[in-house]
Amino acid sequence: MKALAVTGAGVVSTLGVGRAALVESLRSGARAMGHVGRAETFDASTYPRVRIAEVPGFDAAKYLGDKGLRSLDRLTKLLVVASRLALHDAGLKKDGAWTAGSPETVGMVVSNAYGSLEAITELDRVATLEDARYINPSRFPLTVSNSAAGYASIWEDLRALNVTVSDGGAGALDAVACANLFLEQARAAALLVGGVEAMCEALAFAFDRLGAFAEGACLGEGAAILAVEPLDAARARDARILATICGFGTAFSPPRREATLVYASSEAVSRAIASALLDADVAAGDVDLVVSGVSGLRVFDDAEMRAIGHVFGEKVCVVAPKLALGETLGASGAMGMLAATAWLGQTASRCPNAPVLRGALRAEARTALVTSMGYYGNASALVMRHPSG
Amino acid sequence: MLRRVFVTGVGVVSSIGLGKEAFFRALGEGISGISPVSSFDTAQLGRQFAGEVRNFDARDHLTRAEQGRTGRCSAMAVAAARMALADARLDPAGLDPPRLAVVLGTTMGEGEILGELEHQWIVGGAGAVRRALIPRYGSTLLPIHVARAIGAQGMVLTLPAACAAGNYAIGFSADLIRSGRADVVVTGAAELIQQLQFSGFVRLAAMATERCQPFDLNRQGLLLGEGAGLLVLESEAHATRRGVELQAEVGAYGMSCDAYHITRPHPEATGSIVAMRAAIARSAIAPDDVDFVNAHGTGTKQNDLAEAKVVREVFGDRRVPISSMKSMLGHCMGAASALEAIGCIFTLETGLYPPTIGFETPDPECDMNVVANVARRGKADIVINNSLAFGGYNAVAVFARPGVLPPPPGPPPPARPAASRSS
Repeated sequence: MKALAVTGAGVVSTLGVGRAALVESLRSGARAMGHVGRAETFDASTYPRVRIAEVPGFDAAKYLGDKGLRSLDRLTKLLVVASRLALHDAGLKKDGAWTAGSPETVGMVVSNAYGSLEAITELDRVATLEDARYINPSRFPLTVSNSAAGYASIWEDLRALNVTVSDGGAGALDAVACANLFLEQARAAALLVGGVEAMCEALAFAFDRLGAFAEGACLGEGAAILAVEPLDAARARDARILATICGFGTAFSPPRREATLVYASSEAVSRAIASALLDADVAAGDVDLVVSGVSGLRVFDDAEMRAIGHVFGEKVCVVAPKLALGETLGASGAMGMLAATAWLGQTASRCPNAPVLRGALRAEARTALVTSMGYYGNASALVMRHPSG
Repeated sequence: MLRRVFVTGVGVVSSIGLGKEAFFRALGEGISGISPVSSFDTAQLGRQFAGEVRNFDARDHLTRAEQGRTGRCSAMAVAAARMALADARLDPAGLDPPRLAVVLGTTMGEGEILGELEHQWIVGGAGAVRRALIPRYGSTLLPIHVARAIGAQGMVLTLPAACAAGNYAIGFSADLIRSGRADVVVTGAAELIQQLQFSGFVRLAAMATERCQPFDLNRQGLLLGEGAGLLVLESEAHATRRGVELQAEVGAYGMSCDAYHITRPHPEATGSIVAMRAAIARSAIAPDDVDFVNAHGTGTKQNDLAEAKVVREVFGDRRVPISSMKSMLGHCMGAASALEAIGCIFTLETGLYPPTIGFETPDPECDMNVVANVARRGKADIVINNSLAFGGYNAVAVFARPGVLPPPPGPPPPARPAASRSS
């Protein structure tokens, strides 16, 4: 693929709000510890088998003002705040007004895995325990998967294409692949690309019931949105470039047994990586840093590490941002991309507590590979470069 | 040069017929798929009718193992995918699996599984929830199940673009092929009527009582529908090598976002106009080249007014024939524009415009050349498929008889940001 420039980012994460806060936290080795049996947004006392990490004290009004927030769910608020921050960080807007972009030429491609379970559960409760006639019509649109992105378009006046993608944990990297095709065809001048996932009781309940995470690993939440533009266009407007994206690969590999559904495919990860390297015209030996999707789900972590070992051997530095941020599902690939911008070119001594699984961070590191897996045999990978090449 | 993309097969699960042949026959005859809802209780909601798929039995189309892991929405998608492959005379065993992708649209995907989980949880408490059911929920799963059924190992992606999802999926799939990233993509969309959606549209006061009458003066609103419409898209080289019949060429598509209201279309339809003009211009044709518009036509006051504005604005004084299949199928939400895309193939193949049934009294504010009540024969070289959706989404796709469209012009010059708007 032709290189894309990341010219800014907005993030609302378990380690704080804003790109600078996230980068600083990741470099300093901060980790969202989460809580067992306790959450800000619901009573988590009956979910002892999942560690819950929320965006601490998230208050959308601080970024968006008080008006118009009442009918929005947490998912939408996370996305709108991250989008606004990304537009400003990229210099596309300043103080709420367009500077380098315009509504007609800026759009959005955002990944989300589970939609607004908050709104769906709320309406289902009313319909089941009271009467379907009493469900709140102003909350009904939230049950539709693209609702958060639709609201973000209204709040930020984004009138070019608006696309939501769903591919589980691999979705946010897929969103970049979609954005790349759209930009290639000049369907927009710049796109906000990334993912969002919101903590809610249904999600905590599901992971508690599945009892999946290892000790200490968290189910997280958040929104990570990157402003992405064709590299030459970004240079032409003299934009600050945080990193470039230069290759994408994706693969699906089914389990052998027909009855199996959940499947950690090492082969899919290997193929996705190989395809991303080919797309970027980068040799495996040129990759300095692998930003993995390792999250504390043992079967998936093992499969991913096997694939990484298979492609890169044992020497490459492998980091696991999910061990710092929690598992953010549809947002996780974009969190990984931001982590790549934080750790590329950093030394181990400057980031002593980074969640490094293998190897060591190096100052001269210039090329990163971000990987992500879905739960059904799907996986994607992306090659990013330090802006200095 | 960009590669050309063709439809070589279609598969349909709908309220008016299973399979291409039955679906095409019903479209030609103007059959209604509307009936009283049977899958859940509607007694207290004051509305009873929808376009339910009544004669689909997953056991006829899926293996026992597939039945065990899919919900009804995915089952319909898998069945339609198999039909589409058979129609395309495509044996997946002869394909390069990583070059075969599956991209599907939907609104809720396996919403029925979620509904079941929520019911167990709300009524019976945490202990009542079947653990094995949890991983079976997620709109992600639609293309996964289809990919497994047909042996695809390339991109598997869901585009949950609400009621425009079919056009999104088809357009993006064509892009994947055009840019050389896949040879064959199985695409389209699937949707199931859920009690939650049914209640929601009733609460939005958007649902008609018994009939969906798009563009009629006395239209009351929409009726919901369900189904799956899947298409096999193939690069020209791949299809030619196989010697398969090309059913239609996929032209360009246009997308935009109103950024206006979460459920209502923009009253001036500005975004929708942009999307339709983009689809036409990117296909290197002129509005006069378009023979027929397969409308979004939900039958709500606002949608139909907005759509009439788009047609007036784009086609001027020319009264291009237009029709809404939702009069027969109801609004199949995520699956709607995929089934309507297959309706476009029907028009290209048969030279018939599907009728808008139940059309009785023209609405002066929707003064268009509506194909009223019976299918109409007419020129059918190039047709367009219009769709709008919650979230202010607009997507318009062009389909043409093979050999009619000019060669793909290649990407237009980059979209430049407008001059600074800050003051």
